[in-house]
Amino acid sequence: MSSTNKSLLDVATQKIVESQLWRSIFRHGYPDTPLNQSLVMMSNVFLHLHPVKVSRKAMKITYTWCMGGISFFLFLLLTITGVFLMFYYVPDTNVAYQNINQLSSAVSFGHLVRNMHRWSAHLMVVSVTLHMIRVFYHGAYKPPREFNWVVGVLLFFVTLFLSFTGYLLPWDQIALWAITVGTNLAPYAPLVGNPVYKVLVGGGAVSQATLIRFYVGHVILLPLAGAILMAVHFWRIRKDGGEAGPPPPSRREYETRSESERSIAAGSR
Amino acid sequence: MSIEQKEPQVQQPQTAATQRRYRTLAVVKQEAITRVEKPLEDSVFVWPHLLVREFFAATALTVMITLLSLVIDAPLQAPASPSSTPNPAKAPWYFLGLQELLHYFPPTSAGVLVPGFTLVALAALPYIDRNPSRAYADRKVAIVTFTMFVVFWAVITLAGSFFRGPGWLWVWPWQHIYFDL
Repeated sequence: MSSTNKSLLDVATQKIVESQLWRSIFRHGYPDTPLNQSLVMMSNVFLHLHPVKVSRKAMKITYTWCMGGISFFLFLLLTITGVFLMFYYVPDTNVAYQNINQLSSAVSFGHLVRNMHRWSAHLMVVSVTLHMIRVFYHGAYKPPREFNWVVGVLLFFVTLFLSFTGYLLPWDQIALWAITVGTNLAPYAPLVGNPVYKVLVGGGAVSQATLIRFYVGHVILLPLAGAILMAVHFWRIRKDGGEAGPPPPSRREYETRSESERSIAAGSR
Repeated sequence: MSIEQKEPQVQQPQTAATQRRYRTLAVVKQEAITRVEKPLEDSVFVWPHLLVREFFAATALTVMITLLSLVIDAPLQAPASPSSTPNPAKAPWYFLGLQELLHYFPPTSAGVLVPGFTLVALAALPYIDRNPSRAYADRKVAIVTFTMFVVFWAVITLAGSFFRGPGWLWVWPWQHIYFDL
């Protein structure tokens, strides 16, 4: 036994890591050297939207509050819980309410998953809003990031309409009347008002036609639009030079600071 | 910017100044080249520094939402019935600011022009605010305007959410809250 200091686990790990199967998936060693830390970011499709290195200042939690990342993570969580709910939900005014009700009684974890979907959705509206406010105060919409701000505004509206379309699906009193109140604003728009209302609602009042329209929008059109816009949004963060980082001091602050530094340096001499 | 073009035959020192010819070959923008005088930022590898933070943020969020979902149930009222209108009938919470505005102004302005203006102004913001500085001290007008805008929406949204009851009349939250999430 003293002939080798390696434990069985070490030997097994080494065998696995050196196997053809492992090496066909991961083309680099464990990321504990600068080379492998770079390769892991560049060769993994899920990681490659990140840069290899990031500025320490821009990474501070108190700088971004993680709001953009949290919004994206909520989107993923909503996709997973949403697909689960799709197995049990039929967008038919006769059965939709029953389907939702049965999630609590007849479906394993159905109640929990519906709760998670609902609360994540509300939180996503909040986190996207906070992300937008944060970006404004840091002036991170300024050149060269102007267009990414526009993409972000579009994503904000996709988020609102994802929430709005999902609101109708349980087909209870809250759903019906919230959507009735919301859609009743459309006809007031000049010129396009009435056509927009008809396209949105599919008739003269919120009904079966509205339910199927909102359902298709909620499960396919809007998530797809959101995913495409998110891809553009994340891609452009990289292309526009990464996170903006904390705002620099203003010219006046910079001058007074360098003056005081000079006087300190002069005093110490 | 010009690039000196030496002609191999011309070597007489007394006429060199007049015989040298210059030709502009290319103009290279300053930002197009790597500036070595710009100090490299204090940066760290994304693996593991950023990924660890993202992992913990995602885990903490999942745990929080799971706990929240175990404790608080999503609302489900009576089945939809087009014949019985609840009083008040409220839009989803993020549109309640809009609904509150409808109480004060005619629908064309409150329901369409104000949100339309908000959308266009938000999208066009980077093209309206041409101030190149990102320093807080240089952006007083932008910051004050935006803060007022955010506070305005927050206040009317809160008013529509928690201070409005049947007939859209003012109700204090400690009397009754007419609000569904």
